[in-house]
Amino acid sequence: MKLLKPSWVNHNGKPIFSVDIHPDGTKFATGGQGEDSGKVVIWNMAPVLREEDEKNENIPKLLCQMDNHLACVNCVRWSNNGLYLASGGDDKLVMVWKRAAFIGPSTVFGSSSKLANVEQWRCVMILRNHTGDVMDVAWSPHDVWLASCSVDNTIVIWNARKFPEIVMTLKGHTGLVKGLTWDPVGKYIASQADDHSLKVWRTMDWQMETNITKPFSECGGTTHVLRLSWSPDGQYLVSAHAMNNSGPTAQIIERDGWKTNMDFVGHRKAVTVVKFNPKIFKKKQKNGSTPKPSCPYCCCAVGSKDRSLSVWLTSLKRPLVVIHDLFDKSIMDITWTLNGLGLLVCSMDGTVAFLDFSQDELGDPLNEEEKNAIHQNIYGKSLAITMESHLSSTIIENPEMLKYQQERQGNQNPNGAQGSGPENQTPKLTNVLNGESLEDIRKNLLKKQVETRTADGRRRITPLWISHQRCSTASQSLQPTHLRTRTGKFTSVNSIGMKSNLLLTSASKMEPMKALDSRFTERSKATPGVTSVPLTIGITPLDRVKDSSSVKEPKVKDETSSDSEDKIMAKPLSMAKRKGEMEGAEVVEKRKKGRPRKDAKMMMPISQPFPQTPVSAEKEPSRLITPVAVLKLPTPSIQKSFSTQVSTDAIAYLEVENEVSVVSGARLSQLKWSRDGREWDTLLTSRITIATGSSDIVAVACEDRTLSVFTTCGRRLIPSIMLPAPLAALHCSGHFVMVLMASATLSVWDVQKQTALVKNESLNPILSGTDATVSQSFLTQQGVAVVSLSNGKTYCFNSSLETWNLIADKQDSLVQCADFRNCLTSQDALGSMGPLALTQGRNLSAGRLASRLSSTPHHLQQGMTLAFLENQLSSALMLLSASEYRHWLLIYARFLVNEGYEMRLRELCQDLLGPVHKSSSSSWEPTVLGLRKRDLLTEVLPVIGQNLRFQRLFTEYQDQLELLRLK
Amino acid sequence: MAKVQVLNVAVLDNPSPFGNPFQFEITFECMEDLPEDLEWKIIYVGSAESEEYDQVLDSVLVGPVPAGRHMFVFQADAPNTGLIPESDAVGVTVVLITCTYRGQEFIRIGYYVNNEYTDPELRENPPVKPNYTQLQRNILASNPRVTRFHINWEATLDKMEDSENVDPAPNTMLPPTSMPSKAPPLGLMPDNSMDCL
Repeated sequence: MKLLKPSWVNHNGKPIFSVDIHPDGTKFATGGQGEDSGKVVIWNMAPVLREEDEKNENIPKLLCQMDNHLACVNCVRWSNNGLYLASGGDDKLVMVWKRAAFIGPSTVFGSSSKLANVEQWRCVMILRNHTGDVMDVAWSPHDVWLASCSVDNTIVIWNARKFPEIVMTLKGHTGLVKGLTWDPVGKYIASQADDHSLKVWRTMDWQMETNITKPFSECGGTTHVLRLSWSPDGQYLVSAHAMNNSGPTAQIIERDGWKTNMDFVGHRKAVTVVKFNPKIFKKKQKNGSTPKPSCPYCCCAVGSKDRSLSVWLTSLKRPLVVIHDLFDKSIMDITWTLNGLGLLVCSMDGTVAFLDFSQDELGDPLNEEEKNAIHQNIYGKSLAITMESHLSSTIIENPEMLKYQQERQGNQNPNGAQGSGPENQTPKLTNVLNGESLEDIRKNLLKKQVETRTADGRRRITPLWISHQRCSTASQSLQPTHLRTRTGKFTSVNSIGMKSNLLLTSASKMEPMKALDSRFTERSKATPGVTSVPLTIGITPLDRVKDSSSVKEPKVKDETSSDSEDKIMAKPLSMAKRKGEMEGAEVVEKRKKGRPRKDAKMMMPISQPFPQTPVSAEKEPSRLITPVAVLKLPTPSIQKSFSTQVSTDAIAYLEVENEVSVVSGARLSQLKWSRDGREWDTLLTSRITIATGSSDIVAVACEDRTLSVFTTCGRRLIPSIMLPAPLAALHCSGHFVMVLMASATLSVWDVQKQTALVKNESLNPILSGTDATVSQSFLTQQGVAVVSLSNGKTYCFNSSLETWNLIADKQDSLVQCADFRNCLTSQDALGSMGPLALTQGRNLSAGRLASRLSSTPHHLQQGMTLAFLENQLSSALMLLSASEYRHWLLIYARFLVNEGYEMRLRELCQDLLGPVHKSSSSSWEPTVLGLRKRDLLTEVLPVIGQNLRFQRLFTEYQDQLELLRLK
Repeated sequence: MAKVQVLNVAVLDNPSPFGNPFQFEITFECMEDLPEDLEWKIIYVGSAESEEYDQVLDSVLVGPVPAGRHMFVFQADAPNTGLIPESDAVGVTVVLITCTYRGQEFIRIGYYVNNEYTDPELRENPPVKPNYTQLQRNILASNPRVTRFHINWEATLDKMEDSENVDPAPNTMLPPTSMPSKAPPLGLMPDNSMDCL
């Protein structure tokens, strides 16, 4: 065993409370007290491991320091994937850090050390919930959760996938919670607190599994931390500070029955930290000796308030090694390297020690497969697998599943390659803001910056916005398409080594320097100049005499690294948004004209409105005739002549000319229809108000409240229908005719079957209680009448239920907040065409607010999205719109798969599959909207196959479907 | 944690004649959109002996401040020489840049400033009455001293939480009218120090 105390790892003498080695072993983090804040430092591991690297000045020792924590940092922990660092401190916060790529070295402004940060770690998430100091944080296996515990007696489980969502707050401790450890299998989390208890919680339902108090009942005094640890095989949990016969111990708790029969004895003071080696070992095979089967064992390091460290092997009764007097103060944290042979220990005295073991001493570490095999043997399937969707160690049980997983990976890779391409190029086109380099901007910043005067005459400067705050990928999930460009060149010049050319000779100058020094730290209580508080001299320790004699004459060089990010990206974003709003406004404006039309494009008035008869005059008689029916809907005005395009497979034109001729007192109007050169015309005795057609029929409404229906060849299908009120809107689709009368009633007929689908149904249920008017109405191909109101709501009338159903609502917050964009594929963007899309607008505003709501808890958004998607599905069903139903079904399925709604997914599959064996009692319909449900299921199954978690579900339905196919 | 982090302060026009305005190019990063402006001040310490001689050279509001990285140049006129004790005019003193949010100071950046005569003759035999036109101001830009204070960044609601960080003195000892007012008394604040030469 080798022992090293790298003196360069320090927080300028301040305590170091926590240390953690990065999973890749190249760096480690320390957390503790900074100058006047908490401090997290990331160090290079290489100089610790190799002496030549330590001596090589080109190899940086300090990689990054962050003083964002306002108070002492109690714990730093790397995520298992190494991407994140979590830190918890006395400022009640948990911060999650991520490395910001593409940003070069920079110093922490004003820090005494002039060492540049080699790596840039930025706080990507601040988790606020605790009401007291955060004492320990722990990432769950596979980084599904992050747990933090605090002196507020609680443990908070954060959803590490969806920060800052809180999965659960574990309450039950009655004292300060000072340590956390996850079960490596993923089934439990254990916590130890000042309340003389150690509690084990289930991750299944977050309830307490067991509460162990006996070994702790004697515990007196307090330790700063109680970092407990779980063995890598999951069999043992070892507590920090416990007592046995009034001697301090580390209690061993067996997973089987939570028995507490053994402990690690020997430390003279309380145990503060226990840390298991991540590896499981087996006896070193000596050369020449016959290999004999030996039981694998674990290795555990125990640190104590007595300043000593002991390392134990579970196969030995005595500790492997005990090191006394390693530190001047209590040991605070221990971390092992991933290979299991190295160990870093930190102490309250502000130093760190590194222990290097050889395999001869510890044994042969088992490789991951062997470790997994042990887990498999003891626990069957490791429970962690069910909680993790894509686990490398998950066994794919089904060849179909394998196919989808491989396809999925194949799809991901090209995307990844594309994504990295432009980013690699960006550093070259850097440094430019609106065509101007940052350097140019800086030269003219004073002239360019906007300065105004406030009402009370004060200067107000609008700062120049030079880059986004986040330099990492934290927000990329929200704006995946935006490229972030960063500078590649850095102009930073450190003014290290600028020699002073001025020496102060007068010793009397020293005194004022002390006074001056104090000014740096003393806060102005009021505006200086007002207060005449005598200056307190020597508030700060005066170790800066050197400074006074080294007033340098610095050559002014800009120290700023000119890292900038492209400003442009914000603009298209807001532009796009504005555009969206403009479109919305346009639609509203169109509708305000009050004239319901099928489509704005379809009506093209070719002559001026009929001048002789004012509209109001026309309406009068009708109002007299139908005094009962209150005219709620505006009727179209009568035009001298107009033409309409009837969009069918080939475009047909309808031309109307009112009062073409007067024959024996009767005014005749002409209706002319033409398509591909074929045309017909017919005469009507009343002036025509609306004419419309479909691929099968032509419908014409006249001033005298008659409705005539012709075939596309001009043959009258039915005698004129007498309408109960003047017509407000008329639509045709297929063989269906829909009339919306001014009395706010609706009728729909099937003229082929000569039946009424909707008979004089009042719009009162949807209109009453609102000032809204009908802004749009249309008829779907399947004969479903759809009415949109000016308040943004759209209803359809279901003739079998005889109800109005709300199918779209522009103001619906569900629509605006639902975020299912990650469930859309490229084909889906095109696929949604139909009545539902028509009512909701092609560019569905769904999710427009979603990005802004990123701060809302994920489960809320999840719920909103789910509700929205289910609405869409049922609306499509109601509108009998098969293609849209299929479209939304697939999105829905993808969403369920992504978010892990197993019950709903199962219900969906069950409905699509139906009973496997025919039975007469079954009311299951094999089709929905003309789509075969089992065909839909075959489309849904590949979606399910993309999430390994649902492989049982996939297999189950895949097999049943196969069975049915063979029948 | 602090919502605003000062990333860099570049001292422009340095060294320069004593009468030149101070220019600091300040780069800062903001974690989230700030509903209120930041108030920056440059304070010139006239004499190490007493805060009485501190001069607020200027104060500016900086805003609006959306999340992100920003920079601006803070220019303020040179100190009013009439308010500097003659004995302290030449030599080392301090210039402070402070920033407050909602009236609470959260960062204080201090620089040593050396005022000296460029003319060797004057340096050897400095006049009793300082000759400000001959003085050169040299800010020790390479060694800023940064002090950060823990303040309450949120609106009034949880003000109590950080009350331990607020010195009780101004509240208890000063009448309410002399609470940290927005504008310092005019007598001590030079409106325009150029004419003081």
